[in-house]
Amino acid sequence: MVVNSYSFLLFFTVVFIVYYLPVLRRTPRFQNAWLLLVSYVFYGFADWQMIPLLLGSTLVFWFVGRWLRREMDQGHRVAASRITTLGVVLGIGLLLWFKYLNFFAESLSLLLNSIGLSVSWTTLNIVLPIGVSFFTFKLISYVIEIHREHIMPSSDFLEFAAYIAFFPTILSGPIDRPDKFLPQMKTVHTLDYLLAADGCRQILWGMFTKMCIADNLAIITASAWESYESLPSTMLLAAALLYPVQLYADFDGYSNMAIGVGKLLGYRVNRNFDHPFLARNMAEYWRRWHISLTGWITDYVFMPLNIAFRNLDNWGVVMAAMINLVLIGLWHGANWTYGAFGFYHGLLFIPLILSGAFAKKKKLKANDLGLPHLKDFGWMLFTFCLVAVGHVIFRAADISEAFAFMESLCTNGLSGASIIDAYGMLYILFALALIIIEWIQRQQEHALQLQRFPLFSRRPVRFALYLLIILLIITFTGRSQAFIYFQF
Amino acid sequence: MERQEIFSALQEIFMDVLDLEDEVELTDETSANDIEEWDSLSHIQLIVAIEKRFGIKFTSLEIMKWRNVGEMVDSMQEKLK
Repeated sequence: MVVNSYSFLLFFTVVFIVYYLPVLRRTPRFQNAWLLLVSYVFYGFADWQMIPLLLGSTLVFWFVGRWLRREMDQGHRVAASRITTLGVVLGIGLLLWFKYLNFFAESLSLLLNSIGLSVSWTTLNIVLPIGVSFFTFKLISYVIEIHREHIMPSSDFLEFAAYIAFFPTILSGPIDRPDKFLPQMKTVHTLDYLLAADGCRQILWGMFTKMCIADNLAIITASAWESYESLPSTMLLAAALLYPVQLYADFDGYSNMAIGVGKLLGYRVNRNFDHPFLARNMAEYWRRWHISLTGWITDYVFMPLNIAFRNLDNWGVVMAAMINLVLIGLWHGANWTYGAFGFYHGLLFIPLILSGAFAKKKKLKANDLGLPHLKDFGWMLFTFCLVAVGHVIFRAADISEAFAFMESLCTNGLSGASIIDAYGMLYILFALALIIIEWIQRQQEHALQLQRFPLFSRRPVRFALYLLIILLIITFTGRSQAFIYFQF
Repeated sequence: MERQEIFSALQEIFMDVLDLEDEVELTDETSANDIEEWDSLSHIQLIVAIEKRFGIKFTSLEIMKWRNVGEMVDSMQEKLK
């Protein structure tokens, strides 16, 4: 049940009406219990066989959290550190088991076969539970934040379980943090009209980017990848440049819908994107792309590594950044391409760290015409191209395919079949429009926050715009594609 | 060491490491949100400078716990007793 479907609309209508019934608004517990119930129903629709795993891991971490705090209260520092390590190992173990064990088994048997040891390894058919990469990260951060004394363990299992299974974000994030989210569960939510209206706009914008841009660009990029050996370089270049926009429109579209649904329930969900294509270098790009994941890894991997390597100066930062980015790459799945993708980004960080440009957060300012300064624009383009190269590795089935695609892109010449028809051109215009809107709305959380434009303060104008977007969605909706990030 | 002494030494270290042009008045509540130049990387440089200046060593957990200058100074006082 995806967010942009009729079944979700029906499901959410029921959720929404019951959630705000006076009887549920008596105490936060009633609303949390309802959220928990519907979140499990929602997760059950996606993968009912994995409900015991979700419930079991939630229970274990709830107990670990309470146990940890008890030891901390008694001043048992060593025991507390050990319990935290246990929590982290359990969480990582869950991920490794479901996500990476097949890959390790296959890689090991390949390695053994290549050195002459004949091994016939039966592939372990472990099914990847949907959302596991997202909810295990929430579980791990819960234990670490208790240990760092930033939160107290939740005393209410209902509340904790509803946080972990919160249906708008369980399948594909954004990855929420307990210190920001759990306090929101302690109050009764009455319908906040302004927040809910903003949520609706955010959902509408998310639907537009997902259904009109991502799903349509997907057709162009998929056909380029299907027959890259024979297509002209121009087409492959177009596909390579369009893929980052497709991925963004897809995942940002999903995130906007998830955050918007959260707002309708009165929740402020973690942000996932901050206009990544306006980044002027790779460090800035990673501060703007998939923020809920990069923020998590920064707090729990990069900073501890940086602290551990603090006497090695810049090379300590280089090592920490490299490990960090390879892990971000591998988080996407068990494939060498993701590792190589992370390594590639790690390499791009080295000059930034050594030159000191890594940490500098220069504010993005417009010139007198309201456009980016030429120098900034040049760096944005350059960064975008570096991102596009990285995404060739990301998109390829394996490393050799990534190289083959690159080789074809450089050597296939200019003549040959086109994969972009008149509609394709239109969708490319949509993609360009998206990037221009990103610039105009760079200070806003999403494109439809239009309060600063006097024109849109008039209700009929605003509604005409929403209607136009709805018509665009109805007219140009692409062949429905699964959300790319559901596979991670 | 008196809290006030630690604060004035920190003031110098902050000005130096973060390369601040204007004087900042550090208080217990000052956090990275209040000083633009104070980010995750300069934070590490600050820690190295503090450890060197005071001849102390923080654990990773202590560093990750701090949420403002006050908590940082608490840790330092503990070590300088």
